[in-house]
Amino acid sequence: MGEFWNPYAPPDPQRRRLLGVGSVLAVLLLWSAVAASGLVSQTRLPAPWDVVSAFAYLAWNDGHSMLLTATLWSGGRLLVAGLLVIIIGIPIGIVMGAAPQINAALSPLVDPFRSAPVVALLPILVMWMGIGESMKIAFLFIGAVVYLIPMVRDAIQAVPQSYWIGARDLGATPWECIRQAVVPMAMPRIADAVIVAFSVMWTYITVAEYVNAREGLGQLIQNARRFSAWDQVFAGIIVIIALALLTYRLMIWLKRRLYPWETQQ
Amino acid sequence: MTAPMTAAGRPVAAAAAKSVAVVLKDIVQEYPAHSGAVTRVIDRVTLSFEQPGINMLLGPSGCGKSTLLHMLGGVRPMGVKTPTSGSVMIDGVECHGAHDDSVMVFQRYANRPDLSVFDNVAFPFRLKLWKSREPEAEWRQRVTDLLKAVGLADKAGLRPAQLSGGQNQRVALARALVLRPKILLMDEPFGALDAQTREEMQQLLIDLYQSWPCLVVFVTHDVTEALLLGDRVIVLSGQPARVADDFLIGEPRPRAAAWQRSAAAQGLEERILAQLHASPGKGQVRVSI
Repeated sequence: MGEFWNPYAPPDPQRRRLLGVGSVLAVLLLWSAVAASGLVSQTRLPAPWDVVSAFAYLAWNDGHSMLLTATLWSGGRLLVAGLLVIIIGIPIGIVMGAAPQINAALSPLVDPFRSAPVVALLPILVMWMGIGESMKIAFLFIGAVVYLIPMVRDAIQAVPQSYWIGARDLGATPWECIRQAVVPMAMPRIADAVIVAFSVMWTYITVAEYVNAREGLGQLIQNARRFSAWDQVFAGIIVIIALALLTYRLMIWLKRRLYPWETQQ
Repeated sequence: MTAPMTAAGRPVAAAAAKSVAVVLKDIVQEYPAHSGAVTRVIDRVTLSFEQPGINMLLGPSGCGKSTLLHMLGGVRPMGVKTPTSGSVMIDGVECHGAHDDSVMVFQRYANRPDLSVFDNVAFPFRLKLWKSREPEAEWRQRVTDLLKAVGLADKAGLRPAQLSGGQNQRVALARALVLRPKILLMDEPFGALDAQTREEMQQLLIDLYQSWPCLVVFVTHDVTEALLLGDRVIVLSGQPARVADDFLIGEPRPRAAAWQRSAAAQGLEERILAQLHASPGKGQVRVSI
């Protein structure tokens, strides 16, 4: 018990896994107990086994997998929006971090959107872009890029000045200082910003697919809700969480491969 | 400019840097402080350096030594006009910004963590300025020679995080010397190292200087270091920095421990400390023995 209230004494990996799995199992158990007892009606809370069978139904039924199709559509939208976030957002963040005057000019246009109700933009985007794919991708893009740009800017500004001075002293042009000394140092934190952007986009995917989606996980959930198929709604939400977690793990792994020196620092 | 090499791969003394005349005249530096006032950091400092040699700029911490050094290198980290008044002349030409005659070595070595030791030393040749001046075969040879000279020949492929603090500073020294500068500016380069590593690095600097005698301006707040390395010791007072003392040391390097304990060395140390205590201002100096 001596080490219990000690933030600097983490449990060993085996114990940590045990505690994590244990708490998830406890919730599942509680959920099953509540569902089995009949205290809450099935229309309000589907039982875990109902969710599992709904998952099986969505994964394979009548010769095709609704879940796979929906995942591919949602994943595709996310990927396109993510690439746009990277291609457009990272250069803007770098330029803002590198030139304080550009930052002064652009930050009032970018920073407030972090706390803006991005969801409220949806009707406006529909008005401007219609109800097709471009509206959905634009929505995901805006939702994520407003987080990414300030993070990239902060990553640039967090690089110790000594790197800049050192390059300047060696005769680097101002742009060479940024490109050769500052940006390489900021890359791990820029990668963190991309990881956050993808997490944000997974949370927005259901909203993006709210309007006129014929395919996608958001549409799948939306459709199930319409028919009060709560077991399918639960299954869809769990799939989105799992996909978001998978994306996160994959990107963390990629980041460690690309910037192995960061953890050694 | 291809210098002849000794068998050990170091440039021979005959290929020393051309002598360079550096003159600081009536340097005043002020920074804006709170409520519109200005803080004077450097007060009418006039110094000239002509011969190759190791010049120690000794003063209490925070006295403005580094600011003087940045002026010599033409680097303006704070975006404030430097110097506020006065002039820095290098070979008779007023220095307004970064120039090619000097290279700086910092206490916080600015090695790129994503590049190998070799690529860190070769870093200047990634820049337009130097890439066009030397053929690749020439600078690759220079990098190899310098890695040998600083004792990192077998570490060329490692990354900075795999090196110790002293080894990282060796990389920084090699990167500075790969450009064969006329002026080597050192900003408390060994200040963050432990005592034993610092001694090794001081010895390395003496060795490197012998194979490439240039004008070294070395900022330190360590009295012992100043007496160990300097051909000349310039003592700066606390803020605002003024030249409190300026003298030569004739004793050849490396200076044995016996000399460091001699009456002559003790006398110089007392002289420096007396000057620093007499001048007003805050900040500290270090005496290691």
